[in-house]
Amino acid sequence: MDTKKDKDNSHSHSHSHSHSHSHSHSHSHSHDHDDHHSLLPSDPELRVKAIETLLLSKGLIDSETLDELIDTYENKIGPQNGAKVVAKAWVDSDYKKRLLEDATSAIRELSYQGRQGENMVVVENTPEVHNVVVCTLCSCYPWPVLGIPPTWYKSDEYRSRTVREPRKVLSEFGVKVDDKIQVKVWDSTAELRYLVLPMRPEGTENMNEDELAKLVTRNSMIGTGLAENIK
Amino acid sequence: MSRLHDMGGRYGDGPIPIPRNKNNQIENYEPVFKYKWHAKAWAITLAAGALGEWNLDVSRHFRECLPPRDYMNYSYYEKWLAGLTNLLVKRNIISVKDLKHFTTLVEKQEINLDSVIKSELDKRAWLAKDVAKTLGWGGPSFRETKISPQFNIGDKIKTVSYNPNKDVKGGHTRLPSYAMGRTGTIHSYHGTHVFPDKNAHGNGENPLPLYTIEFKGEELWGAMAEDKNSCIFLDLWEPYIECHI
Repeated sequence: MDTKKDKDNSHSHSHSHSHSHSHSHSHSHSHDHDDHHSLLPSDPELRVKAIETLLLSKGLIDSETLDELIDTYENKIGPQNGAKVVAKAWVDSDYKKRLLEDATSAIRELSYQGRQGENMVVVENTPEVHNVVVCTLCSCYPWPVLGIPPTWYKSDEYRSRTVREPRKVLSEFGVKVDDKIQVKVWDSTAELRYLVLPMRPEGTENMNEDELAKLVTRNSMIGTGLAENIK
Repeated sequence: MSRLHDMGGRYGDGPIPIPRNKNNQIENYEPVFKYKWHAKAWAITLAAGALGEWNLDVSRHFRECLPPRDYMNYSYYEKWLAGLTNLLVKRNIISVKDLKHFTTLVEKQEINLDSVIKSELDKRAWLAKDVAKTLGWGGPSFRETKISPQFNIGDKIKTVSYNPNKDVKGGHTRLPSYAMGRTGTIHSYHGTHVFPDKNAHGNGENPLPLYTIEFKGEELWGAMAEDKNSCIFLDLWEPYIECHI
């Protein structure tokens, strides 16, 4: 899915070389004019390579650390974690109560904690309320339970529209929210990180936690989806 | 006035770029990083942050301060890399000369990741063996203080009408424009948290009361609100609130 905002190998940044400023930076109020990034190559892949080789040559970063970080979020930390939290809340009403009262502690019970999830809040979908999470100012997202946000979550389209027309946005995700159901939008403007507790699908009474976790999609925990029905 | 990143409620953006699979169903499990350079730009930003020369609010503000033309044209990880580059130079961790030199080297294909001559690892550098531990600890913004919140749950309040950052023109704030000068209700209180408007400018952590505030859609969008029942919750620090109403 390539969009204008995801033009990954674009070479269209030659403009950025035309406005590098050489005047002195006497503006005490701001660093807006220190556009040193415009000195970098126009191809984003080469830009990254220039910074990576530069920092490696200075001993400021370690290649093994970069590999470890990427491996962690590609293979260990992701929505499979959040799915386990949700499944546990579906089968264990005491856990669900703790999760809604103090999400950070309840999620830590499953050993999910830390960076970009230091202060967790869980909001519950019910037959009366549908919750959806956004970060209009940047891309705040609960990393320990959902991993790195998908491209659409970071898109201008999602950031600008979700607070103003959440039902329309949800319909684009195939989520039709009945007029009688209240939509609550959570804009992550501070360091609280939100996880939606989706409703448990009907007909799953006999399923165990592991089976239930497979029904919990990433989007259902952002609010742009529902948990999957059993096939 | 605000900056381009403050886009909540803006008109003109098209459909959400939702990926779909072969069966035209919404894809929940697309790759975490679409390209290797996305992963690298992300990981380098985290590793450089771990040098301890700036905080999260500073790095956010540097991304927000990219020229609007670049902010609009850049894809997500290009913004991260550009903000990081400006920050590294500003903090004298790298020089303009370094940038020009390594740009030339990569453009002429005279350097690659295997051939780069590495200095001894800096004492501040983040080691691979510490990654899991450091991530697990994170960087909590909550600070224990004796400050009492001025507002109670259920109070009706009005937010300030202009950028609340009084220290710096065009300074960092986490009060979006769409919620300035609007009436809401205190939904919950979270204790005192590091105040980004100060922390982003090296003016200390200055922890202050943080609330979740509920706004009715109609209050934010007027007659253009999508429906009468929707509400929007924002996490706002006490200085973003002008008064009780």
